[in-house]
Amino acid sequence: MGLVAALAIGTGVVIAVARHVPGPGLSPAIASRTPDPKHGAYVAVLGDCVACHTAAGGKPLAGGVAFNTPVGAVWSTNITPDRDHGIGRYSLADFVRLMRQGVRPDGRRVYPAMPYTAFAKVSDEDLQDLFAYLTRSVAPADTADRTGPWPPHWPLAFWNIAFHQDRRFEPDPHLSAQANRGAYLVQGLAHCGTCHTPRGVGFQERDLDGRTNLFLSGARLDGASPVNLRGDAGDGLGRWNEADIVELLATGKSIHSAVLGPMGEVVADSTQHMTPADVEAITVYLKTLGPAPAAEGRATFAASGATLDEIKAGRQTDPGGRIYMDSCAACHHLGGEGAGRSLPSLAGNSVVLASHPDSLIAVILRGDREPGAAAAPSRMAMPPFAWRYDDAEVAALATYMRQAWGNRAPPVRPSQVREARRALGIARSRPPG
Amino acid sequence: MAARNRPVDVVIVGFGWTGAIMAIELAKAGISVLALERGADQDTVPDWAYPKVLDEVAQSARNGLLQNLSKTTVTLRHDKADLALPYRQIGSFKPGTGVGGAGIHWSGVHSRATPEELRLKSHVTQRYGAKFIPEGMQVQDWGVSYDELEPHFDRFEQVCGTSGKAGNLQGVKQAEGNPFEGPRSREYPLPPLKDPPTSVIFAKAARELGFHPFSLPASNASRPYRNPYGCDLGPCNFCGFCSDYGCINYSKASPQTTILPALKAMPNFSYRTHAHVLRINTSADGKTATGVTYVDAQGREVEQPASLVILAAFHLHNVRLMLSSKIGKPYDPETGEGVIGRNFCYQLISSVNTFFDSQTYINQFMGAGGVGQAIEDFNADNFDHGPLGFIGGGVMWGRQTGNGPVRGIPLPEGAPKWGSGWKQAVKDNYLHTGRIEAQMSNMAYRGAFLDLDPTYRDAYGEPLLRMTLDWQDNDLRMSEFFNEKLKATARTMGATSFSGRMLKRGDHWDTRAYQSTHINGGTSMGTDPRTSAVNKYLQSWDVPNLFVLGANVFAHGIGANPTGTVGALAYWAAANIRSTYLRDPGPMVRA
Amino acid sequence: MSRDTDRRAFLKASVLIPSAAALGSSAALGQPGPPADDAARSAPAPAFPADDHYQPAFFTPAEWAFVRAACARLIPTDANGPGALEAGVPQFIDRQMGTPYGDAANWYMSGPFHEGAAEFGYQSALTPKQQYRLGIRAIDAWCAKTLNKAFADLMAAQQDDVLKKAEVGQIHADDVSLKTFFTSFLLKNVMEGFFGDPMYGGNRDMAGWKLIGHPGSRGDFAEFVDRPQRYAYGPVDLYGRRG
Repeated sequence: MGLVAALAIGTGVVIAVARHVPGPGLSPAIASRTPDPKHGAYVAVLGDCVACHTAAGGKPLAGGVAFNTPVGAVWSTNITPDRDHGIGRYSLADFVRLMRQGVRPDGRRVYPAMPYTAFAKVSDEDLQDLFAYLTRSVAPADTADRTGPWPPHWPLAFWNIAFHQDRRFEPDPHLSAQANRGAYLVQGLAHCGTCHTPRGVGFQERDLDGRTNLFLSGARLDGASPVNLRGDAGDGLGRWNEADIVELLATGKSIHSAVLGPMGEVVADSTQHMTPADVEAITVYLKTLGPAPAAEGRATFAASGATLDEIKAGRQTDPGGRIYMDSCAACHHLGGEGAGRSLPSLAGNSVVLASHPDSLIAVILRGDREPGAAAAPSRMAMPPFAWRYDDAEVAALATYMRQAWGNRAPPVRPSQVREARRALGIARSRPPG
Repeated sequence: MAARNRPVDVVIVGFGWTGAIMAIELAKAGISVLALERGADQDTVPDWAYPKVLDEVAQSARNGLLQNLSKTTVTLRHDKADLALPYRQIGSFKPGTGVGGAGIHWSGVHSRATPEELRLKSHVTQRYGAKFIPEGMQVQDWGVSYDELEPHFDRFEQVCGTSGKAGNLQGVKQAEGNPFEGPRSREYPLPPLKDPPTSVIFAKAARELGFHPFSLPASNASRPYRNPYGCDLGPCNFCGFCSDYGCINYSKASPQTTILPALKAMPNFSYRTHAHVLRINTSADGKTATGVTYVDAQGREVEQPASLVILAAFHLHNVRLMLSSKIGKPYDPETGEGVIGRNFCYQLISSVNTFFDSQTYINQFMGAGGVGQAIEDFNADNFDHGPLGFIGGGVMWGRQTGNGPVRGIPLPEGAPKWGSGWKQAVKDNYLHTGRIEAQMSNMAYRGAFLDLDPTYRDAYGEPLLRMTLDWQDNDLRMSEFFNEKLKATARTMGATSFSGRMLKRGDHWDTRAYQSTHINGGTSMGTDPRTSAVNKYLQSWDVPNLFVLGANVFAHGIGANPTGTVGALAYWAAANIRSTYLRDPGPMVRA
Repeated sequence: MSRDTDRRAFLKASVLIPSAAALGSSAALGQPGPPADDAARSAPAPAFPADDHYQPAFFTPAEWAFVRAACARLIPTDANGPGALEAGVPQFIDRQMGTPYGDAANWYMSGPFHEGAAEFGYQSALTPKQQYRLGIRAIDAWCAKTLNKAFADLMAAQQDDVLKKAEVGQIHADDVSLKTFFTSFLLKNVMEGFFGDPMYGGNRDMAGWKLIGHPGSRGDFAEFVDRPQRYAYGPVDLYGRRG
């Protein structure tokens, strides 16, 4: 009896929680404010809405980007003002509730691929302007949202209780107004932590507001290892000055490195279009972040010419070093210095030095292409090398790069390469011989 | 019945260097620009990705990046009395194909024509008298001056990230540079490349002989570089796969590395590949171009209307399109009348392999297309021709372009061509061989011209272009003059032996062995519509909304490599189209 | 504007996060996606030399015997190391006949055909395949008539003599110029096979490159180009093997 009662009560609680529609948390003063859709368009750039809500060949912001997952397919939604298929019937409160809680007007939860944990920090004014832009300036598209019975959405209510706090951004009194503007963008609209902050047991970001030095300290996601953006001199931004960071966000490249993988699209769609003031604010804020927590294997870098001297003397015998000579040096050069903004330096490169070498392995295996920005349109590409080397060779190469030219990071094991090939779907295509 | 596309403001035929230059400069004016390219689209990755493209069999032996001659070629003969035969295999010159054109597989030598060459007839007449010009030689002034072109020479160098050292900055001679060059408004965008062994030894010898060696300007970047369009170049690493090859690391200037990234982002620009243009269409009175007709990938004929037509294909296609479209009067060598096909020229190359002892390492597998030391002591009119009795000149250089064994291992005279003796010889010499060359201007002659072949046709049923060309007494006497300089230089370099192909009187144009792709003339620019096809702005005298780019507009041959001048002329034409033609379409020079 | 697949693949992980947590599953993050387009297009065709039991696809047994014998004389095995036969050059030539080159696909092969002055280059209607077919037949016929043996069965010195005669035009055939066959096909292709990348079947163990000190497809000499010394590292081929 007790068990049945407990189940009944528990079920009732579950249903109650899952059906609970929270308030949007809007200040009453917003009602008398005149929204600015032009600024809202800029807010959409800051939030990079287009990245997920415009499908290849589809109408702008009409959703339909497919996410095929092992537990079922989900699709991004139509956020055009179409009354039947988009957000045309939404009130501002409906919109803000979705942005901050992940709850639609019908009570249905959205998956936090839509980063409402970050967007909760966004101000009433910015959301009001964004809503005005989406509903007034975007052409309605009659593209119907695609949904299915699976995966279920109701468990997200409990995830929210455990991991989500609907809190607006709070300026840090110790920081300048400029740095606080940067923090507001980084933690909120730009949702940098979605990729760059490590995640916990519930796959939640372990720090959403920069209270600890875990925030933006580098992560692992989907075969990549988004880099540490904190002040570490090895794998972080410690050796970058503010102009370098500004340049990377504006063009995708700097003398230290170039953006890799999904960050390319962030630059193409979002950061290059930000105002110089906002890019500088982000940069100033990032430079306030101290080093990540000390951990075993945290990389260091101290430039050294010893590697190059050995090579020039004809004494390169390291197996990974020989592979580097055969496959990498033609662009990145024997000293690992790359070529200014044109070809990324590997000495002191945070992708090379990252705690988890996933991105390094991935780029060796399948290559990459820079995004190209208006100010620097060249889309330098690295060809793939998966066909040229087996797992042990890729591991030896990656290890060499992590330990040459003054780089100091733990070695890479062949099993890590094998796992990466499996995860990325890249067969070992090198023929026997 | 041809399909008809939506009209555009500008249609550009050919999407290599000149097409890309014109496309971006006109697109910046806000008008709609469409480029048509007969070949495929291509880019650094994947088409010449490292290390895949470093393949001598595919690129050098099988000409992977060059024009497929089964589709279209030319016919060749030495004299108008001869039967012309088809250019069946790639030999003396190497037309490219695909997006980027010959700008992909070129070497990178990036020179300027000299001030005197651009007004050669006036200059020679003033200095040596009109009688100095031999009977049958058709030198003439280009109609554009060096000073007019200077900003555009400069512009193209800035775009390409040319590595070099100025020898004449605004009239002030500079140490280490080329003291004979025309005055430059500013220094090269990048410093010279490192000198490989051949260049070091050549420069030392040249200095000992009293010559004035300088770093040959090279559009192989010596440093990382961002050009005025925002495009990035990486530094050259002397991989040794340059001419014949696409560049592996973004260091050789090409349309892909220097222009297309910016151009492709422009919404008013588009391009179509596999669009082989058959003709320029004209109005009933023949005075206005209405667009072009091309064959698409499916073999369909498509009409592309346009208000302005730019001919920007490679030399021989430009000339053939003028002939097959019946624009301008075809040249007649009997009467000397007509302009299309007139003043067809090439260049002469004498090439000497220098063999060194076993302790002197040249390492010919290392190198870059444009790297080298050169002298222009005997270029253009930098020396007194009076006692020599010929017109023209050339550049001598010790370049190290990078050479691999499939491309041919030079051996000393008398070495066996196969067997154990050959094996010993290649083993002994491969690492110890350099090459010096003289590249000389080929003057324009009444009997050297281009027309349509009466017999041979291409895969589209169109007549092939026919080349009638041979070395003339003036050119070969110049070559003999250079041969002595080459021999003296080789000896001074300390070569244990040297041998090579040095042109002398009695020699004929040999179309088999590669010499260079520097064919020029055929739709010359000039001041007189009776002797030129286009005016000084490269505008057709006959059809004012047609502009013709390329080395085919050269009035006659020059000593230096042509690309720098071809690019400068394209920028010059583009600047004038923007500043003048677009505001007031019509003839820019009254004939 | 097209959306790259990378970012979506990446964001997929975020999508899975709550459901994996809520369902008490740590089910796979990141389904494999197709490799980037560049990855698929950049890999050279895997083609590696088999062993000495290679079965020619183009040459008949008699032609094959000729090609092997000619290779052994044009680049003999000697004190300087392996020759063309050991380096797999016969196999290279046979494989080349199966490429567009074998059928002269990129040459202008429309008539009429006229012999011209040498300076005008190749004017024959014969494709490389036909050159080998007719050239080998003519040389073998000449050997049979003059020396009572097929070329392959001659002594080495006799073979050298026959090849020299072909080279300078002293052996005539009605249907093929043996001088052209020898110089522009046989000898040229032997050199290509001996020095080309091993993936084409010749230059086995990079024997050709090692003979002369060529580093193959390494293609990076920025730190060496201004040092007139012997380059210290051996060759590498396109598949990354070192010799």
